[in-house]
Amino acid sequence: MTDLGMNGMNGVIVHARGLTKRYPPDVAALTDVSFDVRRGELVAVLGPSGAGKTTLFRCLTRLTRPDAGTVSVDGREMSSAEGRELRAARHDVALIFQQFNLIRRLTALENVLVGRLPQVPTWRVLSRCFARADRQLALRCLDTVGLLDKADARADQLSGGQQQRVAIARALAQDAKVILADEPVASLDPESAAGVLGCLRAVASAGVAVVASLHQVHLAVAYADRILALRAGRLVEDAPVADVDARAIEQIYERNGVAATEPRA
Amino acid sequence: MIPAVAGGREYPEPVVGWLSGRRWRFVAVLVLLAAFYSASWQLARVDPGKLVTGLPRMASWAAKAWPPATDELSVLLQRTAETVAMAAIGTTVAALLALPLCVLAARNVTPSLALYYPTRWFLNALRGIDSFVFALLFVAAVGLGPFAGVLGIALHTWGSTAKLWAEAIENIPPGPLEAAAATGASRLKVVAFALLPDVGPSMVSVGLFWWEFNVRASTVLGVVGAGGIGQELKNSMDLLLFPRLLTIIAIILVTVTVIDHTSEWLRRRLE
Repeated sequence: MTDLGMNGMNGVIVHARGLTKRYPPDVAALTDVSFDVRRGELVAVLGPSGAGKTTLFRCLTRLTRPDAGTVSVDGREMSSAEGRELRAARHDVALIFQQFNLIRRLTALENVLVGRLPQVPTWRVLSRCFARADRQLALRCLDTVGLLDKADARADQLSGGQQQRVAIARALAQDAKVILADEPVASLDPESAAGVLGCLRAVASAGVAVVASLHQVHLAVAYADRILALRAGRLVEDAPVADVDARAIEQIYERNGVAATEPRA
Repeated sequence: MIPAVAGGREYPEPVVGWLSGRRWRFVAVLVLLAAFYSASWQLARVDPGKLVTGLPRMASWAAKAWPPATDELSVLLQRTAETVAMAAIGTTVAALLALPLCVLAARNVTPSLALYYPTRWFLNALRGIDSFVFALLFVAAVGLGPFAGVLGIALHTWGSTAKLWAEAIENIPPGPLEAAAATGASRLKVVAFALLPDVGPSMVSVGLFWWEFNVRASTVLGVVGAGGIGQELKNSMDLLLFPRLLTIIAIILVTVTVIDHTSEWLRRRLE
Protein backbone atom coordinates (compact mmCIF):
# COMPACT_ATOMS: atom_id res chain seq x y z
CA MET A 1 0.00 0.00 0.00
CA THR A 2 2.82 2.34 0.92
CA ASP A 3 4.65 1.87 -2.35
CA LEU A 4 1.49 2.19 -4.36
CA GLY A 5 0.82 5.51 -2.67
CA MET A 6 4.24 6.86 -3.43
CA ASN A 7 4.75 5.62 -6.97
CA GLY A 8 1.19 5.98 -8.07
CA MET A 9 1.12 9.69 -7.27
CA ASN A 10 4.63 10.92 -8.13
CA GLY A 11 5.88 10.92 -4.57
CA VAL A 12 2.87 12.77 -3.21
CA ILE A 13 2.77 12.23 0.55
CA VAL A 14 0.11 14.65 1.70
CA HIS A 15 -2.96 14.84 -0.47
CA ALA A 16 -5.55 17.36 0.73
CA ARG A 17 -8.73 18.04 -1.22
CA GLY A 18 -11.49 20.53 -0.55
CA LEU A 19 -10.77 20.99 3.16
CA THR A 20 -13.48 23.10 4.72
CA LYS A 21 -14.00 23.94 8.36
CA ARG A 22 -16.41 26.40 9.92
CA TYR A 23 -16.60 27.36 13.56
CA PRO A 24 -20.02 28.43 14.78
CA PRO A 25 -21.62 30.84 14.36
CA ASP A 26 -20.07 32.11 11.13
CA VAL A 27 -16.27 31.82 11.11
CA ALA A 28 -15.06 30.19 7.93
CA ALA A 29 -11.69 28.91 9.18
CA LEU A 30 -10.97 26.98 5.99
CA THR A 31 -12.77 27.07 2.69
CA ASP A 32 -12.11 24.49 -0.03
CA VAL A 33 -8.35 24.16 0.51
CA SER A 34 -6.60 21.67 -1.78
CA PHE A 35 -2.89 20.97 -2.18
CA ASP A 36 -0.29 18.22 -2.41
CA VAL A 37 3.06 17.87 -0.70
CA ARG A 38 5.68 15.59 -2.19
CA ARG A 39 8.47 13.76 -0.45
CA GLY A 40 11.64 15.80 -0.17
CA GLU A 41 9.73 19.04 -0.31
CA LEU A 42 9.69 21.84 2.28
CA VAL A 43 6.46 23.76 2.00
CA ALA A 44 5.97 27.00 3.89
CA VAL A 45 2.47 28.07 4.87
CA LEU A 46 2.13 31.83 5.18
CA GLY A 47 -0.75 33.94 6.32
CA PRO A 48 -1.69 36.46 8.99
CA SER A 49 -3.06 35.38 12.36
CA GLY A 50 -6.56 34.04 11.93
CA ALA A 51 -5.97 33.02 8.32
CA GLY A 52 -6.54 29.35 9.14
CA LYS A 53 -2.98 28.01 9.45
CA THR A 54 -3.51 26.28 12.77
CA THR A 55 -6.89 24.88 11.70
CA LEU A 56 -5.19 23.53 8.58
CA PHE A 57 -2.55 21.74 10.68
CA ARG A 58 -5.17 20.38 13.05
CA CYS A 59 -7.14 19.02 10.12
CA LEU A 60 -4.03 17.39 8.66
CA THR A 61 -3.46 15.48 11.92
CA ARG A 62 -7.17 14.98 12.55
CA LEU A 63 -6.98 16.76 15.89
CA THR A 64 -9.86 18.62 14.26
CA ARG A 65 -12.30 16.92 11.92
CA PRO A 66 -12.93 18.95 8.74
CA ASP A 67 -16.56 19.62 7.82
CA ALA A 68 -15.79 18.64 4.27
CA GLY A 69 -12.86 17.45 2.21
CA THR A 70 -10.31 14.67 2.59
CA VAL A 71 -6.71 14.27 3.69
CA SER A 72 -4.60 11.26 2.93
CA VAL A 73 -1.03 10.70 4.05
CA ASP A 74 1.02 8.34 1.96
CA GLY A 75 -2.17 6.91 0.49
CA ARG A 76 -3.77 6.34 3.88
CA GLU A 77 -7.04 8.14 4.43
CA MET A 78 -6.85 10.33 7.56
CA SER A 79 -10.17 12.12 7.44
CA SER A 80 -12.36 9.07 8.08
CA ALA A 81 -10.04 6.95 10.29
CA GLU A 82 -11.05 6.24 13.86
CA GLY A 83 -9.51 4.71 17.00
CA ARG A 84 -6.72 2.24 16.32
CA GLU A 85 -6.69 3.01 12.62
CA LEU A 86 -6.29 6.73 13.30
CA ARG A 87 -3.48 6.06 15.77
CA ALA A 88 -1.71 3.98 13.17
CA ALA A 89 -2.19 6.72 10.59
CA ARG A 90 -0.69 9.26 13.01
CA HIS A 91 2.57 7.30 13.08
CA ASP A 92 3.20 8.71 9.63
CA VAL A 93 2.69 12.31 10.72
CA ALA A 94 5.12 13.98 13.12
CA LEU A 95 4.33 17.27 14.78
CA ILE A 96 6.61 20.10 15.83
CA PHE A 97 5.17 22.78 18.09
CA GLN A 98 5.93 26.44 18.65
CA GLN A 99 6.55 25.69 22.34
CA PHE A 100 8.70 22.55 21.61
CA ASN A 101 6.70 20.48 24.14
CA LEU A 102 9.62 18.42 25.38
CA ILE A 103 9.34 16.53 28.65
CA ARG A 104 11.33 18.81 30.95
CA ARG A 105 12.83 16.26 33.30
CA LEU A 106 13.92 13.79 30.64
CA THR A 107 17.21 13.99 28.77
CA ALA A 108 17.42 15.03 25.14
CA LEU A 109 17.98 11.38 24.22
CA GLU A 110 14.92 10.21 26.15
CA ASN A 111 12.84 12.93 24.53
CA VAL A 112 13.91 11.70 21.12
CA LEU A 113 12.92 8.16 22.15
CA VAL A 114 9.35 9.46 22.62
CA GLY A 115 9.15 9.25 18.84
CA ARG A 116 9.70 5.48 19.13
CA LEU A 117 6.95 4.90 21.73
CA PRO A 118 4.33 3.46 19.36
CA GLN A 119 6.67 0.68 18.18
CA VAL A 120 8.43 -0.12 21.46
CA PRO A 121 6.87 -2.95 23.54
CA THR A 122 4.98 -1.70 26.57
CA TRP A 123 7.23 -3.47 29.10
CA ARG A 124 10.25 -1.68 27.68
CA VAL A 125 8.50 1.67 28.06
CA LEU A 126 7.45 0.89 31.63
CA SER A 127 10.96 -0.22 32.61
CA ARG A 128 12.62 2.59 30.57
CA CYS A 129 14.82 -0.06 29.06
CA PHE A 130 14.95 0.64 25.34
CA ALA A 131 16.48 -1.74 22.81
CA ARG A 132 19.94 -0.93 21.54
CA ALA A 133 18.60 -0.39 18.02
CA ASP A 134 16.17 2.26 19.25
CA ARG A 135 18.83 4.02 21.31
CA GLN A 136 21.21 4.04 18.34
CA LEU A 137 18.50 5.42 16.08
CA ALA A 138 17.73 8.17 18.58
CA LEU A 139 21.41 9.10 18.80
CA ARG A 140 21.61 9.20 15.01
CA CYS A 141 18.63 11.60 14.98
CA LEU A 142 20.34 13.82 17.54
CA ASP A 143 23.49 13.77 15.41
CA THR A 144 21.42 14.84 12.40
CA VAL A 145 20.24 17.97 14.21
CA GLY A 146 23.75 18.60 15.55
CA LEU A 147 23.07 17.89 19.22
CA LEU A 148 24.90 14.60 19.77
CA ASP A 149 26.93 16.22 22.55
CA LYS A 150 23.73 17.17 24.40
CA ALA A 151 22.25 13.64 24.43
CA ASP A 152 22.55 13.41 28.20
CA ALA A 153 21.46 16.95 29.05
CA ARG A 154 18.08 17.50 30.63
CA ALA A 155 15.59 19.13 28.26
CA ASP A 156 14.96 22.09 30.55
CA GLN A 157 18.66 22.93 30.52
CA LEU A 158 18.77 23.45 26.75
CA SER A 159 18.24 26.76 24.98
CA GLY A 160 15.07 27.37 22.97
CA GLY A 161 16.77 26.68 19.67
CA GLN A 162 18.33 23.48 21.01
CA GLN A 163 14.98 22.32 22.39
CA GLN A 164 13.35 22.84 19.02
CA ARG A 165 16.13 20.82 17.36
CA VAL A 166 15.51 18.02 19.88
CA ALA A 167 11.84 18.22 18.86
CA ILE A 168 12.92 17.79 15.24
CA ALA A 169 15.03 14.79 16.24
CA ARG A 170 11.97 13.36 18.01
CA ALA A 171 9.97 13.80 14.81
CA LEU A 172 12.77 12.07 12.86
CA ALA A 173 12.84 9.17 15.31
CA GLN A 174 9.15 8.69 14.66
CA ASP A 175 10.17 7.77 11.11
CA ALA A 176 7.20 9.73 9.81
CA LYS A 177 6.47 10.38 6.16
CA VAL A 178 5.59 13.99 6.85
CA ILE A 179 6.66 16.50 9.48
CA LEU A 180 4.21 19.28 10.29
CA ALA A 181 5.69 22.28 12.08
CA ASP A 182 3.25 24.88 13.41
CA GLU A 183 5.22 28.12 13.76
CA PRO A 184 8.41 26.29 14.75
CA VAL A 185 10.54 29.44 14.98
CA ALA A 186 8.00 31.96 16.28
CA SER A 187 9.48 31.97 19.78
CA LEU A 188 13.15 31.83 18.76
CA ASP A 189 15.78 34.48 18.14
CA PRO A 190 16.91 34.92 14.51
CA GLU A 191 20.07 32.85 14.88
CA SER A 192 18.28 29.89 16.50
CA ALA A 193 15.50 30.22 13.94
CA ALA A 194 18.05 29.87 11.14
CA GLY A 195 19.47 26.77 12.85
CA VAL A 196 16.04 25.16 13.17
CA LEU A 197 15.00 25.96 9.60
CA GLY A 198 18.36 24.69 8.37
CA CYS A 199 17.60 21.41 10.13
CA LEU A 200 14.14 21.17 8.59
CA ARG A 201 15.64 21.94 5.19
CA ALA A 202 18.14 19.09 5.59
CA VAL A 203 15.39 16.73 6.79
CA ALA A 204 13.29 17.54 3.73
CA SER A 205 16.24 16.99 1.45
CA ALA A 206 16.68 13.58 3.04
CA GLY A 207 13.28 12.55 1.69
CA VAL A 208 10.66 13.65 4.21
CA ALA A 209 7.78 15.94 3.34
CA VAL A 210 7.91 19.01 5.58
CA VAL A 211 5.13 21.56 6.02
CA ALA A 212 5.94 24.55 8.22
CA SER A 213 3.89 27.61 8.97
CA LEU A 214 5.96 30.76 9.22
CA HIS A 215 5.36 34.41 9.84
CA GLN A 216 8.39 35.82 8.07
CA VAL A 217 8.22 35.91 4.30
CA HIS A 218 12.00 36.23 3.94
CA LEU A 219 12.54 32.99 5.87
CA ALA A 220 10.01 31.21 3.65
CA VAL A 221 11.77 32.48 0.56
CA ALA A 222 15.18 31.45 1.94
CA TYR A 223 14.35 27.92 3.08
CA ALA A 224 11.18 26.62 1.40
CA ASP A 225 10.68 24.97 -1.98
CA ARG A 226 7.10 26.05 -2.25
CA ILE A 227 4.83 28.56 -0.60
CA LEU A 228 1.18 28.18 0.29
CA ALA A 229 -0.50 31.41 1.31
CA LEU A 230 -3.75 31.51 3.22
CA ARG A 231 -6.02 34.47 3.65
CA ALA A 232 -9.28 34.28 5.53
CA GLY A 233 -9.34 30.52 5.19
CA ARG A 234 -8.77 30.43 1.44
CA LEU A 235 -5.66 29.29 -0.37
CA VAL A 236 -4.60 32.36 -2.32
CA GLU A 237 -1.19 31.18 -3.51
CA ASP A 238 0.42 27.82 -4.18
CA ALA A 239 3.63 28.15 -6.14
CA PRO A 240 7.34 27.27 -6.14
CA VAL A 241 9.41 29.89 -4.35
CA ALA A 242 11.08 30.94 -7.61
CA ASP A 243 7.71 31.83 -9.14
CA VAL A 244 6.41 33.74 -6.15
CA ASP A 245 6.38 37.48 -6.16
CA ALA A 246 7.46 38.39 -2.66
CA ARG A 247 5.56 41.65 -2.83
CA ALA A 248 2.33 39.85 -3.71
CA ILE A 249 2.85 37.68 -0.64
CA GLU A 250 3.52 40.68 1.56
CA GLN A 251 0.12 41.95 0.48
CA ILE A 252 -1.74 39.18 2.25
CA TYR A 253 -0.43 40.61 5.50
CA GLU A 254 -1.67 44.10 4.76
CA ARG A 255 -4.10 45.44 7.25
CA ASN A 256 -6.80 46.39 4.74
CA GLY A 257 -6.77 43.01 3.13
CA VAL A 258 -7.15 41.31 6.50
CA ALA A 259 -9.81 43.62 7.87
CA ALA A 260 -11.88 43.37 4.70
CA THR A 261 -11.89 39.59 4.46
CA GLU A 262 -11.39 38.19 7.94
CA PRO A 263 -14.69 36.98 9.31
CA ARG A 264 -15.62 38.36 12.70
CA ALA A 265 -17.87 36.58 15.16
CA MET B 1 4.39 67.80 40.84
CA ILE B 2 3.74 66.99 37.21
CA PRO B 3 0.98 69.14 35.77
CA ALA B 4 -1.49 66.27 35.20
CA VAL B 5 -1.85 65.60 38.94
CA ALA B 6 -1.07 69.07 40.31
CA GLY B 7 -4.63 69.90 41.30
CA GLY B 8 -7.23 71.99 39.53
CA ARG B 9 -10.82 70.92 39.23
CA GLU B 10 -12.79 69.13 41.95
CA TYR B 11 -13.85 65.53 41.07
CA PRO B 12 -17.07 63.99 42.30
CA GLU B 13 -16.28 61.01 44.58
CA PRO B 14 -18.13 57.70 44.52
CA VAL B 15 -20.90 57.99 47.14
CA VAL B 16 -21.11 55.26 49.82
CA GLY B 17 -24.26 55.66 51.90
CA TRP B 18 -24.46 54.62 55.57
CA LEU B 19 -26.75 51.75 54.75
CA SER B 20 -25.25 50.88 51.37
CA GLY B 21 -25.22 47.24 50.26
CA ARG B 22 -21.52 46.90 51.00
CA ARG B 23 -21.78 48.12 54.61
CA TRP B 24 -24.91 46.09 55.21
CA ARG B 25 -23.19 42.90 54.06
CA PHE B 26 -20.22 43.60 56.33
CA VAL B 27 -22.51 43.97 59.37
CA ALA B 28 -24.43 40.83 58.41
CA VAL B 29 -21.18 38.83 58.20
CA LEU B 30 -20.12 40.09 61.64
CA VAL B 31 -23.48 39.08 63.15
CA LEU B 32 -23.31 35.64 61.54
CA LEU B 33 -19.77 35.06 62.80
CA ALA B 34 -20.75 36.11 66.32
CA ALA B 35 -23.74 33.74 66.27
CA PHE B 36 -21.57 30.91 64.96
CA TYR B 37 -18.92 31.30 67.67
CA SER B 38 -21.36 31.68 70.53
CA ALA B 39 -23.20 28.52 69.41
CA SER B 40 -19.89 26.67 69.07
CA TRP B 41 -18.80 27.83 72.51
CA GLN B 42 -22.01 26.35 73.98
CA LEU B 43 -21.80 23.11 72.00
CA ALA B 44 -18.14 22.56 72.91
CA ARG B 45 -19.00 23.20 76.57
CA VAL B 46 -15.99 25.41 77.04
CA ASP B 47 -15.43 25.90 80.77
CA PRO B 48 -12.22 27.73 81.74
CA GLY B 49 -13.05 27.07 85.41
CA LYS B 50 -12.46 23.37 84.93
CA LEU B 51 -9.10 24.12 83.36
CA VAL B 52 -8.13 26.17 86.40
CA THR B 53 -8.86 23.26 88.74
CA GLY B 54 -7.45 20.66 86.34
CA LEU B 55 -4.09 22.25 85.62
CA PRO B 56 -2.65 21.76 89.13
CA ARG B 57 -3.64 18.09 88.86
CA MET B 58 -1.63 17.79 85.65
CA ALA B 59 1.25 19.59 87.29
CA SER B 60 1.26 17.08 90.14
CA TRP B 61 1.37 14.24 87.57
CA ALA B 62 4.30 15.92 85.90
CA ALA B 63 6.05 16.09 89.28
CA LYS B 64 5.35 12.40 89.89
CA ALA B 65 6.59 11.50 86.39
CA TRP B 66 10.19 12.41 87.14
CA PRO B 67 12.45 10.48 86.74
CA PRO B 68 11.12 8.74 83.61
CA ALA B 69 10.93 4.93 83.78
CA THR B 70 13.67 3.15 81.87
CA ASP B 71 13.16 -0.45 82.95
CA GLU B 72 10.87 -1.29 79.99
CA LEU B 73 12.76 0.70 77.37
CA SER B 74 13.29 -2.27 75.03
CA VAL B 75 9.57 -3.11 74.99
CA LEU B 76 8.65 0.51 74.34
CA LEU B 77 11.19 0.80 71.53
CA GLN B 78 9.85 -2.35 69.96
CA ARG B 79 6.33 -0.87 70.13
CA THR B 80 7.60 2.34 68.54
CA ALA B 81 9.18 0.35 65.73
CA GLU B 82 5.78 -1.31 65.32
CA THR B 83 4.18 2.13 64.89
CA VAL B 84 6.72 3.26 62.29
CA ALA B 85 6.32 -0.06 60.46
CA MET B 86 2.52 0.28 60.47
CA ALA B 87 2.81 3.71 58.93
CA ALA B 88 5.34 2.57 56.34
CA ILE B 89 3.38 -0.51 55.19
CA GLY B 90 0.05 1.32 55.31
CA THR B 91 1.36 4.26 53.30
CA THR B 92 3.10 2.03 50.75
CA VAL B 93 0.03 -0.13 50.18
CA ALA B 94 -2.02 3.07 49.84
CA ALA B 95 0.45 4.46 47.28
CA LEU B 96 0.33 1.28 45.18
CA LEU B 97 -3.47 1.32 45.21
CA ALA B 98 -3.53 5.06 44.46
CA LEU B 99 -1.30 4.76 41.39
CA PRO B 100 -3.94 3.49 38.94
CA LEU B 101 -6.77 5.52 40.48
CA CYS B 102 -5.01 8.88 40.32
CA VAL B 103 -4.85 8.52 36.53
CA LEU B 104 -8.59 7.85 36.38
CA ALA B 105 -9.25 10.77 38.74
CA ALA B 106 -7.24 13.37 36.79
CA ARG B 107 -9.38 15.22 34.28
CA ASN B 108 -6.63 15.68 31.71
CA VAL B 109 -5.62 12.01 31.39
CA THR B 110 -8.70 10.04 32.45
CA PRO B 111 -9.87 7.70 29.68
CA SER B 112 -13.49 8.76 30.20
CA LEU B 113 -15.62 10.94 32.44
CA ALA B 114 -17.73 7.84 33.17
CA LEU B 115 -14.68 6.62 35.13
CA TYR B 116 -13.60 10.02 36.41
CA TYR B 117 -16.68 10.82 38.51
CA PRO B 118 -17.14 7.44 40.26
CA THR B 119 -13.41 7.37 41.02
CA ARG B 120 -13.59 10.83 42.56
CA TRP B 121 -16.60 9.83 44.68
CA PHE B 122 -14.88 6.66 45.85
CA LEU B 123 -11.68 8.52 46.77
CA ASN B 124 -13.62 11.24 48.58
CA ALA B 125 -15.39 8.58 50.64
CA LEU B 126 -12.06 7.01 51.63
CA ARG B 127 -10.63 10.42 52.44
CA GLY B 128 -13.66 11.46 54.44
CA ILE B 129 -13.26 8.59 56.91
CA ASP B 130 -10.26 8.97 59.20
CA SER B 131 -7.77 6.12 59.57
CA PHE B 132 -8.70 6.09 63.25
CA VAL B 133 -12.32 5.21 62.35
CA PHE B 134 -11.21 2.60 59.82
CA ALA B 135 -8.89 1.08 62.43
CA LEU B 136 -11.80 0.87 64.89
CA LEU B 137 -13.79 -1.12 62.32
CA PHE B 138 -10.84 -3.36 61.44
CA VAL B 139 -10.06 -4.15 65.07
CA ALA B 140 -13.57 -5.59 65.21
CA ALA B 141 -13.08 -7.44 61.91
CA VAL B 142 -9.49 -8.78 62.05
CA GLY B 143 -8.83 -8.54 65.80
CA LEU B 144 -6.53 -6.47 68.00
CA GLY B 145 -3.01 -5.64 66.85
CA PRO B 146 -1.04 -3.54 64.38
CA PHE B 147 -2.53 -5.20 61.28
CA ALA B 148 -5.85 -3.46 61.94
CA GLY B 149 -3.87 -0.20 62.12
CA VAL B 150 -2.13 -0.92 58.82
CA LEU B 151 -5.50 -1.45 57.13
CA GLY B 152 -6.94 1.70 58.64
CA ILE B 153 -3.98 3.80 57.51
CA ALA B 154 -3.95 2.22 54.05
CA LEU B 155 -7.62 2.96 53.31
CA HIS B 156 -7.62 6.58 54.42
CA THR B 157 -4.24 7.34 52.85
CA TRP B 158 -5.33 5.64 49.60
CA GLY B 159 -8.05 8.25 49.11
CA SER B 160 -5.94 11.20 50.23
CA THR B 161 -2.86 10.31 48.19
CA ALA B 162 -4.78 9.53 45.01
CA LYS B 163 -6.61 12.85 45.22
CA LEU B 164 -3.42 14.89 45.74
CA TRP B 165 -1.68 12.96 42.97
CA ALA B 166 -4.60 13.56 40.61
CA GLU B 167 -4.31 17.27 41.35
CA ALA B 168 -0.57 17.18 40.64
CA ILE B 169 -1.31 15.50 37.30
CA GLU B 170 -3.96 18.06 36.42
CA ASN B 171 -1.44 20.84 36.99
CA ILE B 172 1.21 19.73 34.52
CA PRO B 173 1.48 21.54 31.17
CA PRO B 174 -0.56 19.75 28.47
CA GLY B 175 1.89 20.30 25.59
CA PRO B 176 4.38 17.47 26.22
CA LEU B 177 1.55 14.96 26.75
CA GLU B 178 -0.10 16.07 23.53
CA ALA B 179 3.21 15.73 21.72
CA ALA B 180 3.72 12.19 23.01
CA ALA B 181 0.11 11.22 22.22
CA ALA B 182 0.43 12.70 18.73
CA THR B 183 3.05 10.07 17.84
CA GLY B 184 0.21 7.55 18.05
CA ALA B 185 1.50 5.96 21.27
CA SER B 186 -1.02 4.25 23.54
CA ARG B 187 -2.35 5.97 26.66
CA LEU B 188 -0.43 3.66 29.00
CA LYS B 189 2.87 4.47 27.26
CA VAL B 190 2.15 8.20 27.31
CA VAL B 191 1.34 8.09 31.02
CA ALA B 192 4.38 6.00 31.87
CA PHE B 193 6.92 7.87 29.80
CA ALA B 194 5.69 11.44 29.38
CA LEU B 195 3.58 11.96 32.49
CA LEU B 196 5.42 10.11 35.26
CA PRO B 197 8.79 11.84 34.86
CA ASP B 198 7.02 15.18 35.13
CA VAL B 199 4.88 14.49 38.19
CA GLY B 200 7.05 11.74 39.73
CA PRO B 201 8.98 14.00 42.14
CA SER B 202 5.87 15.73 43.45
CA MET B 203 4.17 12.35 43.80
CA VAL B 204 7.06 10.99 45.87
CA SER B 205 6.96 14.17 47.91
CA VAL B 206 3.24 13.66 48.63
CA GLY B 207 3.91 10.02 49.56
CA LEU B 208 6.65 11.02 52.01
CA PHE B 209 4.37 13.61 53.55
CA TRP B 210 1.72 10.95 54.17
CA TRP B 211 4.23 8.54 55.68
CA GLU B 212 5.36 11.26 58.07
CA PHE B 213 1.75 12.20 58.79
CA ASN B 214 0.82 8.55 59.39
CA VAL B 215 3.65 8.00 61.87
CA ARG B 216 2.16 10.84 63.91
CA ALA B 217 -1.40 9.60 63.40
CA SER B 218 -0.61 5.99 64.24
CA THR B 219 0.80 6.88 67.66
CA VAL B 220 -2.84 7.16 68.72
CA LEU B 221 -4.14 4.16 66.78
CA GLY B 222 -3.15 1.98 69.73
CA VAL B 223 -5.88 3.65 71.72
CA VAL B 224 -8.49 1.69 69.74
CA GLY B 225 -6.41 -1.47 70.06
CA ALA B 226 -4.61 -1.25 66.75
CA GLY B 227 -1.13 -1.88 68.19
CA GLY B 228 2.00 0.25 68.36
CA ILE B 229 3.22 2.69 70.97
CA GLY B 230 -0.28 4.17 71.35
CA GLN B 231 -1.42 1.02 73.09
CA GLU B 232 1.33 1.41 75.72
CA LEU B 233 0.41 5.07 76.06
CA LYS B 234 -3.20 4.18 76.86
CA ASN B 235 -2.22 1.40 79.28
CA SER B 236 0.10 3.70 81.21
CA MET B 237 -2.54 6.41 81.39
CA ASP B 238 -5.18 3.94 82.58
CA LEU B 239 -2.85 2.66 85.31
CA LEU B 240 -1.59 6.18 86.15
CA LEU B 241 2.03 5.09 85.55
CA PHE B 242 3.35 8.62 85.03
CA PRO B 243 7.11 7.91 84.75
CA ARG B 244 6.32 5.35 82.05
CA LEU B 245 3.99 7.85 80.33
CA LEU B 246 6.78 10.43 80.28
CA THR B 247 9.19 7.95 78.67
CA ILE B 248 6.61 7.09 76.01
CA ILE B 249 5.90 10.73 75.19
CA ALA B 250 9.64 11.43 74.95
CA ILE B 251 10.15 8.46 72.59
CA ILE B 252 7.24 9.61 70.40
CA LEU B 253 8.65 13.16 70.24
CA VAL B 254 12.11 11.96 69.24
CA THR B 255 10.77 9.52 66.65
CA VAL B 256 8.40 12.02 65.05
CA THR B 257 11.11 14.69 64.95
CA VAL B 258 13.65 12.36 63.34
CA ILE B 259 11.12 11.19 60.75
CA ASP B 260 9.90 14.73 60.00
CA HIS B 261 13.45 15.85 59.35
CA THR B 262 14.35 12.81 57.27
CA SER B 263 11.25 13.22 55.15
CA GLU B 264 11.82 16.95 54.75
CA TRP B 265 15.45 16.35 53.75
CA LEU B 266 14.39 13.73 51.17
CA ARG B 267 11.69 15.98 49.77
CA ARG B 268 14.09 18.87 49.41
CA ARG B 269 16.50 16.64 47.48
CA LEU B 270 13.82 15.70 44.95
CA GLU B 271 13.89 19.03 43.15
